[in-house]
Amino acid sequence: MLFNSYLFILIFLPMVLIGFGIIGRLGHHKVAISWLVASSLLFYGWWNPLYVWLLLMSVLFNYAIGVALLDSNKKVFLVLGIAVNIALLGYFKYANFFIDNVNYILKSNFSFDDVILPLAISFFTFQQITYLIDAYNGKTKEYSFLHYLLFVTFFPQLIAGPIVHHKEMMPQFCNDFIYKINARNISIGITIFFIGLFKKVVIADNLATYATPVFNASELGLEITFLEAWAGAIAYSFQLYFDFSGYSEMALGIARMFGIILPVNFFSPFKATNIADFWRRWHITLSNFIKDYLFYPVNIVMTRYAILNKYNKIGEFLITVLVPMMIAWFLAGLWHGSNWTFVIFGLMHGCYLIVYRIYLDIRYLIFSKGGKSGIFSTALLRMFMFFIVTMSFVMFRSESVNGAISMYKSMVGGRGISVSSWFESKMAVLGDIPNILGVRYDGFFYNGILTSNPENLILFLAFLFFIVWFSPNVIELFRLNNPALGVDVLLKNAKNRILWNINIYFLIATVILSVVSIMFVQQESEFIYFNF
Amino acid sequence: MSGKDELLEKIALVFHDVFNDSIEVSLNTNASDIDEWDSLTHIRLMISIEAFFSVKFTVSEMSEMQNVSDLILILEEKLNVRP
Repeated sequence: MLFNSYLFILIFLPMVLIGFGIIGRLGHHKVAISWLVASSLLFYGWWNPLYVWLLLMSVLFNYAIGVALLDSNKKVFLVLGIAVNIALLGYFKYANFFIDNVNYILKSNFSFDDVILPLAISFFTFQQITYLIDAYNGKTKEYSFLHYLLFVTFFPQLIAGPIVHHKEMMPQFCNDFIYKINARNISIGITIFFIGLFKKVVIADNLATYATPVFNASELGLEITFLEAWAGAIAYSFQLYFDFSGYSEMALGIARMFGIILPVNFFSPFKATNIADFWRRWHITLSNFIKDYLFYPVNIVMTRYAILNKYNKIGEFLITVLVPMMIAWFLAGLWHGSNWTFVIFGLMHGCYLIVYRIYLDIRYLIFSKGGKSGIFSTALLRMFMFFIVTMSFVMFRSESVNGAISMYKSMVGGRGISVSSWFESKMAVLGDIPNILGVRYDGFFYNGILTSNPENLILFLAFLFFIVWFSPNVIELFRLNNPALGVDVLLKNAKNRILWNINIYFLIATVILSVVSIMFVQQESEFIYFNF
Repeated sequence: MSGKDELLEKIALVFHDVFNDSIEVSLNTNASDIDEWDSLTHIRLMISIEAFFSVKFTVSEMSEMQNVSDLILILEEKLNVRP
């Protein structure tokens, strides 16, 4: 079931909420939890009932391992638990990819039944791996199986995150307060939900109509013009941004209606001025996972080794930063799906982060104290960040590496730069320069694949740049209302004056948002992150 | 000289090795005072201290120590020099 469907918005969600409210009021907390679990399983099974069993088996297995770990703290259970989770993910997500690659290298012809990727498997597997590691490290304690079942299956976060920690959720389920549905939480939840729905169905789905034809054409090997490629790439960057932030906000809003507060997953990433900052704002729960469970464990072991063996600066950098970073981002890329485009996307970000690290180390060497950055440098850095992130998203979006390369070729002017014929006489003063640069006067969008109305697209994109660079985000808007977990550091410098409250203005805004977005709801418009 | 001052002096040696020589190290020094003290150099700092004092920190101890006085508390425990 999709958040952006009439079935969910008009029937499923109200029924589940009313049922939960009534059962909670009557004081049957266990029944209320069971009601949420049953609803979540229905929500998941709507897509493919068979895989509900897979989900349940995974939950049962991990709960058992978790209990064993909390009792005995034996490393063998941890290793077994992680191995089984990885094996399950490997089978369902990567078996075909692996065999295709083996066949390609060995020129062989092994075959294997096509496995349908179970929805959400990457998310619930990672979530349970974090649970096992936390249990092993004594960072969480034991709770009932019913609560554990809800921790994994809770429908607002089941399909595409945020990846929640056991210790973040369990105390909330035990809090008597959540069983008394209250008006304030409902209004906060509804407002956040509709902001998210609006982002998804009005903005992201609309951008897809620009981005998709360009990427499809590139995949077919069509000669896309310079501006078409850029417009398509930028449209996709915004599509992904609004699709994922829309989803994350809908998840946050739905959970809030039930009195549950989820961790922050998205915080104006295009306002970042460096790549490390970007990953502290984009898919926050995944990048925390990469840092805490992939990068740092390797980094710590390697640093011990390097310091004991007195490596020089460069040697130390290679084994403590470069290698662990590339391994972590290789895996992070692969996590998104079994395609080399995702692996390259991950490696690109690994390289970005390494270059940034080298830059920092050099800067520390030269200046002992970093200066405060001004408005001008912030603006330049944000533009630069948008550029490198968009470059990586081109790889992320393309169906094949060749398709992405074809996009890059157009984007760097490798197929000439098509401009409209209006420029022909104006450019004459520049002599031969336009010719050398490959400027052609056959029209900005002469293929006509992008849109018949490029002016609309340009205005639309300009408006979106304004939103992502300058407007306060949902977390900031609700900062006095405890909108999400883990926002303290992010909100440290928040200064926005517009703050949500129960008043007539926000009521009108919410009504408009909800009516418009409900009108825009189309069938079958999946969230991009549902594929991971 | 008390045990604390002695520890602080030794810690300062490690700090000067990891960061640059010009920084001042006192009981109040914390991660936000030193530009270079980010999450990655934090690990390097922790492990340099491990090596210097021949102790070993757990991952959660490492993440808890965000200033010099936390560091001294945990080191005192490890080295058993608490009066």
